[in-house]
This record gives sequence, C-alpha cells and structure tokens, in this order.
Amino acid sequence: MPREFGGAGPAGEMLRVAGVGFGYPGRQVLDGVELSVRAGELVALVGLNGCGKSTLLRLCAGLLRPTSGQVLLGGDDLARLSRRAAARRVALLHQSAPAVPGMTVRQLVRQGRYAARGPLGMLRDGDDAVCARALADVGVAGWADRPVDALSGGERQRVRLAMALAQDTRVLLLDEPTTYLDLRHQLEVMRTVVRLREERGLTVLMVLHDLGHAARFADRIVALRDGRVAADGPPGRVVTPGLLAGVFGVAGRVGLDPEGGWPVCYPDHPLPFETVVERDLQNENHIH
Amino acid sequence: MTGPAPLTREGARPAGRTAVRVRLVRRYALLGLALLAAAGAGLLAGRAVAPADVWEVLSGGGDPIARHVVLQLRLPRALVALVAGGSLGLAGVVLQAALRNPLAGPEVTGVTPGAVLGAVTATGLGLAGWRSPAAVVAAACLGGLAGAGLLWLVAGREKGDPARLAVHGVLVSAVLSGLTAVVLLVAPGELGSVVQWLVGSTEGRVWAHWRLLWPWAAVWALAAWALAAPLTLLRCGDEQASAAGLRTDRARLAALGCAVALTAGAVSVVGALGFVGLLVPHLAFALFGADLRAALPGAALLGAVVVGGADAAAQSLSRVAARVLEVDRLSVPVGALTTCAGAALLLLVARRRGDQE
Repeated sequence: MPREFGGAGPAGEMLRVAGVGFGYPGRQVLDGVELSVRAGELVALVGLNGCGKSTLLRLCAGLLRPTSGQVLLGGDDLARLSRRAAARRVALLHQSAPAVPGMTVRQLVRQGRYAARGPLGMLRDGDDAVCARALADVGVAGWADRPVDALSGGERQRVRLAMALAQDTRVLLLDEPTTYLDLRHQLEVMRTVVRLREERGLTVLMVLHDLGHAARFADRIVALRDGRVAADGPPGRVVTPGLLAGVFGVAGRVGLDPEGGWPVCYPDHPLPFETVVERDLQNENHIH
Repeated sequence: MTGPAPLTREGARPAGRTAVRVRLVRRYALLGLALLAAAGAGLLAGRAVAPADVWEVLSGGGDPIARHVVLQLRLPRALVALVAGGSLGLAGVVLQAALRNPLAGPEVTGVTPGAVLGAVTATGLGLAGWRSPAAVVAAACLGGLAGAGLLWLVAGREKGDPARLAVHGVLVSAVLSGLTAVVLLVAPGELGSVVQWLVGSTEGRVWAHWRLLWPWAAVWALAAWALAAPLTLLRCGDEQASAAGLRTDRARLAALGCAVALTAGAVSVVGALGFVGLLVPHLAFALFGADLRAALPGAALLGAVVVGGADAAAQSLSRVAARVLEVDRLSVPVGALTTCAGAALLLLVARRRGDQE
C-alpha cells in the first residue's frame, strides 16, 4: 500500500531507533539503543546528565549519523535523506540558541520554513499561513513584530517552539524545553505541547529533566542509562523507586496523585554510586 | 477541539507587516537619494572644473578639457567609489552573518590585509600593476583567501567565540600588514604606486577600473543575495539552523568565498578602505532588520553612500587643505576619512552595546 509522504510506517510506527550505537573515538555514547514511537504518541526521554538523551534526539533528527544501526522515520532510513528533506519531516527544538539582535518574532518563526522553500529561498504564499498558524498555536500571534531579544525566557521558548512548528512536520523532538523556565512557564510549555499533540496529531519525543512532568504528561517514559535503554513503558509502570535508584542514583519513594492517579516522585537523597546496581532495576518487573 | 486551526486571510497577512514594508521602502528611497547626492558631490568636487561647467558637460556641452575632466576622470572615479563601497558593505554583512560575529569585518578577519598583501606582492614582483588590473584582482583574491584561511587555522577551535575570533583576526591582520611592509621595503621602487592600497584611495581611477570592477561586483552581489536566506538562518545558531534544514558547513564556506571575492574586488581597485566593511553591517542591521534579504541591499546602498560621500568629502578637504597650506597639490586619501569616521562610529556602537548588556 502506498504510504503518504512523511506518514507513519508499518503498524502506525512513526519513529524507530533500531540497534543504534553512537560514539566518538574513545567514548561510546549510545550502544544498541532500541526505541519505537507510534504516530501521535508523546514519549518522554529521561536519564542523568550525559547518559546520551540529547545525542539520541540529534540522531532522531538526522543531525548526527549513527555509527551502527539505523534510525527510521516513517519507515525510511534517515541517513538516506538530505538535510533539507529530513527537516521537512522532523523538527528539533534545541535547549537554547543564540538570540539574533533585532530579529522579530515573525522573522524567527519564518526561519522554520527554510526547508520547505525553493532553492532560491523565496517564501511561498502558503508559508505565511503556516507561520501565522504556528504563532497562534503557541499563543504569541500578537507579538509578531516584537524583537525576540526583548522577550522573557518563557516567551522566547514559546516563540522557538513556534519556529519548530513552522517546519510543519509530523514528528517533533524537544530537548529539555522547560529548562531555565519557572514553574508557571514550564507548565505553559508542557500544556502547549500536549495540546498540539492532540490538535495536530503530532508525534512527540522529548527529553525531560523533570520526572514529574514526564509522569504527568507522557504516554510513555523511556529511561536511558550509560547509553542504553534501562526502562521503557507507561509512567504508571516505569516510575518506581527502582527507577529512581537504578537510573538516577537516588533513593526515594513513589506515590500516586490522589486526583489523577499518575505517579508522583518523592526523591530523598543520592545513593553512593557503587550501590546503584543492575539489581535495583531487574527486581522491578517493568524492564524493557 | 481537534483538527488544524482555520487559516484566515488576516492571519496570513497581518497589518503590522505592511507597516514594516512601507518603512523599509522609505528607507531604501532615502538611501537612494543619498546615493545620488554622493555621486553628484563626487562629480562637483575637485578644482579644475567649476560646478556650473560640470552641469554644462552633463547636458552635452562644455569645452574639451572640462569634458575630459568630468567624463574621463570624475565620473569613473565616482562610480568606482560607489561600487567599491557597496561591495565592502555587502562583504561585511555576509561575514558578520556567516561568522555570527558583530566584530567581524573584512578588515579584521585577515581578508582585507590579505588582499592588500596579495596585490602589493604581485605588483612588487612585476606580475601586476595599475596597467594590468585583472592580475591585481586575481592576486587580491588569492591574498584575501589566504588571509581568511590563515585566520581559520590560527583560530582553530575558538572560531565560535566572537571575541576570541576577533582577537585572532587582529593578530592575523597585524602579521599580514607586517608582511606587506616587508614587501614594500624590499621593493621600494614600487612604493609610490602601491602605498594607495594601504590606506585606500580613489585617486586616478578611470574607466578601465570601472569596467573591471562592476561585473565582478555584480556577480558576487548576486551570489550574496542567493545566500541571504541561508545566512539569516545561520545567524540563529548552527544547531537551530541545521535542525531547520541548512547544511551549515556548506553555507558558511560559500559565504566566506563570496565575502572574500567582494572584498578582493574592491581592494584591488581602491585599496584597503578602513572600517567600511566592519561598520556598514551595524548600520544595515539597525535600519533594515535582521533578515538579510532586506539588510543586504541596504548594506550595498549604505556602503556606496559612505564611500562615495567620503570620497567627495576627501576631495573637498584636499582643496581646502591645499589652499590653507599654500601647496600646489594635496590629496587626502578617502581611506583616511573612512577609517577616522568608522573608528568613531564603532566606538559608539561598542558603547551602546555595552550599555545594553
């Protein structure tokens, strides 16, 4: 059956990371990572600093090439797509980016249309509509002519999210979109992502530092440790004291939200590193 | 609450956008008038022919001497000044965008000093001279590329840090200027004709120079225009740019080549006009915004106005100075003016930026 351009692969699978390894000489960052994200799913990627989360996200965007294995986007090998073709199908919002002096919100968001343009970079008519919709989607339509460098951190993050949305892709990758933001703005960004996933049917893979956000908003949590997938499943199964100990090296308790029923973490103290052993994870029955 | 948001016509073309366009067009028009004024001032400046006679020549009359002065000397000189200024302005914007560095400019990234070294060396070796302008362009291009390449090597892993790159650029430029001085000392016979390259001068530029400069400048200006969209994106940061679909390495390389070619063309004809390429981009971004599709034409106009105006001012200044000092002939090189004015303006820019942070 012919597949729609940029559509999902077999069995509604949008993104597949198949046995991916990645490393630099002398340092293996990822090793045999297996991950599959269905169309319309919101998956949170968690783990300690340096466990390879951001690297995995870059591999999924095609910004890095795996040293082994492959990344499939809607069934197509990402390594075979040009940079431009890949950017038409997957957007990645980096943790931070330099603000260009004097660039307006509209101008920044239009940069997201780069891959969709012709070779001479002329904007097409539809591009304006896509940008306007992206601005409206993150609730900043009124600021189109304000300079980005005059915005607050939370406002800037929403504008950058609009730039990624302007790529008009089915897959959206977010690298710690809530870092540097206060509680209110963190929630605004998370709620926006959840709403967009509903409204646009986006497939979202996001790196999150806040396990609380992951447990609250994600359909599935994938935990990485030392470049490998340590746990993969719905929050209710994955978020356990074993995960806190095995992946984060932290002793703590896990309860349930009295209203919504999602897991809530009560981390207590860091464990000495030598006690963090495989056993902690193996004892729980949620292992990948 | 599912399905995409409706796309309204108002949403596609908000009113704010028209206002922005009107403002841009008004600024282009004002700069266009300034350009005409600079060209006019260039034609009127000078001693041999009075302004009234210039008008007569332009309307088809005038005596042969006046005709020669205006049509064979002043006109090409003014045109060369405008195009050289435009080239340097474009080169500056392209460099600042490609290196994402407000301190970058052809003068401080080794491009201009390299081009000067190339031109001076070729002249010193007798391979090129004022009589073989094409060879000078080739030598200046090679030198400019070598200068940029040297900076690339020296800066190494610190290329991403604007301040450090600028420091390395100053070092590289100093070394290249030193080498130029060595060449000048070894081949002192050429000193008279090449010293103009060091400061930048439009003195004695004729139609031959114009014919060489404009096609070169036109081709590379088009190349710069083609790079406008990728370079605007590149200013948003390498990671963001490549996530949006840009091959950043390729775009940067193409931009550097384009900036070197534009600079080399200008340098080979008018020499190292100080600070134009460093300063014009700041003005262009301030007046025309961060999108290079608007800022590039603005920078070309600004560069032309600055150099054309400075050239006319330098000639008027020469005339006044000659009268005051009671010497027969004295010429203030335009490069001396652009350097002084540029340094003062750069100081202002640096102070303003300092206040903002």
